[in-house]
Amino acid sequence: MKRQLALIGYALGALSRRRGRSAAVTAGLALVVGLFGSVLFLGDALRAEVEAGARYLPDLSVQRLVAGRPALVPTDVVGAVRGIPGVRSVNARVWGYLYVPPISANITILGATGREATLHAAMVAGRSLRAGERGACVLGAALAEAIGVEPGDEVSLSSDVGGSDATVHWLRIVGVFHDASALRTADVLITSDADARNLLGVDAGLATDLAVSLTTPDEARVASEKIALLVAGARIVDKQLLRRTYALTLDGRGGLLSAMLLPALAALLLLAWDRLTGLSEAERREIGVLKAIGWEVSEVLTARLWESLLVALGGATLGVLGAYAYVFLAQAPGLAGALYGWSALYPPLRLTPQVDAAQALALIVGVALPFVAVGLVPAWRAATLDPDHALRGGA
Amino acid sequence: MSIEKESPAPTAAPAIDARGLTKRYEDGVRRREVVSDVSVVVPQGALWVLRGPSGSGKTTLLGLLGAMVTPTRGEVIVCGEPLSRLRDHHRTRARRRLVGFVFQELALVPGMTLTENVLLPLVPEGGATNAQRAHAAALLERFGLTAFADTRIERLSGGERQRGAVARALVLSPPVLLLDEPTAHLDAARVLEVVAMLAALRDEGRTIVATTHDPRLADSASVDRVLDLADGKLVEN
Repeated sequence: MKRQLALIGYALGALSRRRGRSAAVTAGLALVVGLFGSVLFLGDALRAEVEAGARYLPDLSVQRLVAGRPALVPTDVVGAVRGIPGVRSVNARVWGYLYVPPISANITILGATGREATLHAAMVAGRSLRAGERGACVLGAALAEAIGVEPGDEVSLSSDVGGSDATVHWLRIVGVFHDASALRTADVLITSDADARNLLGVDAGLATDLAVSLTTPDEARVASEKIALLVAGARIVDKQLLRRTYALTLDGRGGLLSAMLLPALAALLLLAWDRLTGLSEAERREIGVLKAIGWEVSEVLTARLWESLLVALGGATLGVLGAYAYVFLAQAPGLAGALYGWSALYPPLRLTPQVDAAQALALIVGVALPFVAVGLVPAWRAATLDPDHALRGGA
Repeated sequence: MSIEKESPAPTAAPAIDARGLTKRYEDGVRRREVVSDVSVVVPQGALWVLRGPSGSGKTTLLGLLGAMVTPTRGEVIVCGEPLSRLRDHHRTRARRRLVGFVFQELALVPGMTLTENVLLPLVPEGGATNAQRAHAAALLERFGLTAFADTRIERLSGGERQRGAVARALVLSPPVLLLDEPTAHLDAARVLEVVAMLAALRDEGRTIVATTHDPRLADSASVDRVLDLADGKLVEN
């Protein structure tokens, strides 16, 4: 241990003596690892967002198409769907978009069915809706901010039936969702099922869709086939398929970006090759000196190993830390657009740090190991020469 | 000024026993014999000089005597240790313990301080102990280098570097000290200092062999014996 510490001390001194070159190689490694790490981290964070969003999705969403256009689903099929083996619960949901002139934007109205209670945990101010509570609502932070309201205030919304039949509904705000759930709640207003029907003009006996929960999500395909027989024009969205589609899209985009980074990696490898296959005159001479004063080949190689390892681990670690800061602190400017796949996103997505430690470690090791291995070859060649020969530049 | 006088433990064997040493270099189709069948026995506590013109093979022979160069033929035994027969690992360890070497170009590491250079042979042993640091400091004091202990090598004069190289060669207290052209590029006053230093080290019991083509060293009364070398062979004198 004491010997290794002394050799590490020597290696640090050697790096310091060649600080310009050491810094350049470290920076090059950090840059490449940082670029690859950014793609990995961003992909992981987006996959985590998708997973987090999917947690609140029903196993199956049953919508209905009439003449190729979305139509309301009659709720009299709920009982029949519930009777399908493997179906645990069915909720007829009422939701839709409502234009709010003061903020010139559409908001999402959602009739409470009870399932939203899980979302309420993210509430930052106020309370959640009580079952069947009329004239009250919970809304997203961005929406509350845009309207300029807070819990305790009332908000007026015009129903979506148009013309002289449109009526104004006053809803008391009882809670506001936290920013952390902004991606799913920013423009959402949850109110009672009855108030939602009034606002959206959805008659009793109809629903926007059916949220189906399954005992075994793996049986989604079988359940879908049976539901399709019960609901005419059914379009069934399978949560697993949706999740897989997102994953494939993100993996595809991530792969494409990684492929685009290959030239940078190739350039670095060339630099590393040039740096490592030939020792500089000063390095070769230094190895000769060490041999001449009685260092063994293994001791010379260990010192060189520490030198390479310190550079490689330093560069790779800096790269990983830089990638973390770039993705999660700076929100990946420039790269995010390529992976998000949309040109504008509302609300702004704040990525939650998600790092696969094994992946980050694999990235560091994957860069550091070849770097160290390649670096040992010329050092071994110089160290196995007679000291006199090495000193005279024979390596 | 305190004088460091650490004498190596005497043994019955000669300090250096070289038998039939030959060194041949091959470079593609060209083959060159730099040292041819040299045998020499250097007793303990002697100050010997290898003299010869440039290209006569002095440096290579010195390297062979100190197991710094692997002989093509022959063997060298230092203080009873058959260095040329040992595997590289054992040979290096034995050399570290038995032989101090001072190169003509001094082989100090630029960018390091004088103290760091002097302590460099101790790094593979886990770094210097307090006693070894004190020994190194005493060596620097002995050679008048205390003021330059923390000075980088490139800021030292030629004479200071040379004394620093000798200090480094002695930091592990080896019984044998080999020096390649120790008076090259030195003025007359400095040559006298070097001769006095070598004589003092010899008087402490060390065995010293130095190469030179400088008559100021070779002809010095302090030198016990001069071996002349020409075309890689010893010449009777």
